[in-house]
Amino acid sequence: MKALIAAEIYKLLRQGKTYFALAAIFLIEGIILFSAYYQGSNIIDILLDNLKQSFYFEGNLLNGNLLIYLILNTLWFHVPLILMIIISGILTSEYKDGTIQTVMLQPISKWKFMLSKYIIAIGFTLLVVFFLALTSFGLSYAIFGNGDLIVYLDTLNFFDSNEAFYRLSWAFVSGSISMVFFSVVSLTLAVIFKEATKTWIIAAFFLIISNLLLKVDFGSTWFNRLFFAKLNDTWQYFFYNEIDWSYIYWNSLLLIVYTMIFVGLGVYLFNKKDIG
Amino acid sequence: MIISGVELSKSYRSGKVLDNVNISCSAGEICGLLGSNGAGKTTLFKILCGLISPDSGSVKINSKRVKPIGAIIEKPALYDYLNAFQNLKLFASIQGAPTDLQSINESLVKVGLPLDRKDPVRNFSMGMKQRLGIAIALLNNPQCLVLDEPFSGLDPIGIAALRKLILNLAENEKLAILLSSHIIDELSKVSQTLYVISNGKILKKGSTQSIITENTDTYTFCAPNISESKALKNYAVVVKGNCASVRLTPDKVPGLIQEMYNEAIYITSCTPEINMEKLFKNPSK
Repeated sequence: MKALIAAEIYKLLRQGKTYFALAAIFLIEGIILFSAYYQGSNIIDILLDNLKQSFYFEGNLLNGNLLIYLILNTLWFHVPLILMIIISGILTSEYKDGTIQTVMLQPISKWKFMLSKYIIAIGFTLLVVFFLALTSFGLSYAIFGNGDLIVYLDTLNFFDSNEAFYRLSWAFVSGSISMVFFSVVSLTLAVIFKEATKTWIIAAFFLIISNLLLKVDFGSTWFNRLFFAKLNDTWQYFFYNEIDWSYIYWNSLLLIVYTMIFVGLGVYLFNKKDIG
Repeated sequence: MIISGVELSKSYRSGKVLDNVNISCSAGEICGLLGSNGAGKTTLFKILCGLISPDSGSVKINSKRVKPIGAIIEKPALYDYLNAFQNLKLFASIQGAPTDLQSINESLVKVGLPLDRKDPVRNFSMGMKQRLGIAIALLNNPQCLVLDEPFSGLDPIGIAALRKLILNLAENEKLAILLSSHIIDELSKVSQTLYVISNGKILKKGSTQSIITENTDTYTFCAPNISESKALKNYAVVVKGNCASVRLTPDKVPGLIQEMYNEAIYITSCTPEINMEKLFKNPSK
């Protein structure tokens, strides 16, 4: 199993497309920082002109914390979409090139092979979110400095800079669970559809539908609390005035269970399916 | 017997692909599987290698090695962004075979690949990819090697080199080798036993030379002055340039060559032209 995981890491790191996808994620981060640098002040001034007459804000509102929050919001769509493309590619490319057949002709177990792909998918996703957090904190503070964070969630919520750092850090941790969920789903879709384009379309569709369903009230409290699509905004709950830890724990635990179900389903289907 | 498939059947939505197929191969034996495209060769090999499961029947493998069968199905599928050494090392590592420099280099040398090629295998010719595919298939010393259409896409030099490698592996390493092709000339030069498959059924099984002989009624003789031969006039013959296609039974071939030799016509080649209709005719119909 260790050898299979090592081989998967090696393959992932040796493929140019991995770096293109990573570059895309960090390019988005760069664009956010760049546009904020040149236009951000004007926009913030227009938005908060009235509030500034009633409140005193410590430091510049266009600060590192706001930029980190903006980058954090790429977890809604941009980051999971790119992750789903990379992660599903670790299997679809093997189907396309026929290497899955060469691998399966060796004396290795099918379920171990598939499980090693899931382990790599999870590890890689966590690493990407970690680097996204690291670079967004580093660059945002370096370019825009520190200051209070203002977030609009139902109402305007203000956090001083220390509190903002604490909440943003936890939001990245919570967001990484959501990203792992989407990555794992994309790999399971790759097991089912095998072909890259089909898998990408279905994965993007899944992501869009999940985001749409998040906003739908199903009228049933238990369904609203258990349905997977309702769990993917947990990282946003760190930006309400009071952090509802029990709600966050419950959602995270449930999302981890959903992730494990998708892993189990993928391994089961792969093990059952003929190769080629 | 190293490998045998017993009463194998497989159906897809499109219909029956394999119908009660029996096939076997012993150590040191090269078995050819001849069939047109879509005859069921690849499906049969995939079942023998465990890639797909049959609807009925069984595969028996008489080997206690970690890896009883090595195979290339359809084409040598490799990680084209890695070089030959890296590919071999990767496949060796996942199956617990030695990954040290000497072992990998030995595997490369065994199949006649150069040790100084460090570029990705996407730059390799099909012949070199086939060799690397065989090197991967041979990792962990299997007792049986299954090669699906190994000669397709190769140039004549590549075909000759691969043929030599296959013969060496059977003779020196006593591997049971199963190989398929839709071109009988290729199989006739390497296989001792031949299976003819059509529409998922094995139509004929036996010694390759016997099957060729039984299904040949025309021979093509080539010689610089063949059109001057008087001996040929006793047969139904079509002369084209320096070659003549002659309808005759196999037992009369040596006599005809002798007669032409007496006429100072020196034969440069004699090729049996197999009657494909006869070869692929189902004997039960």
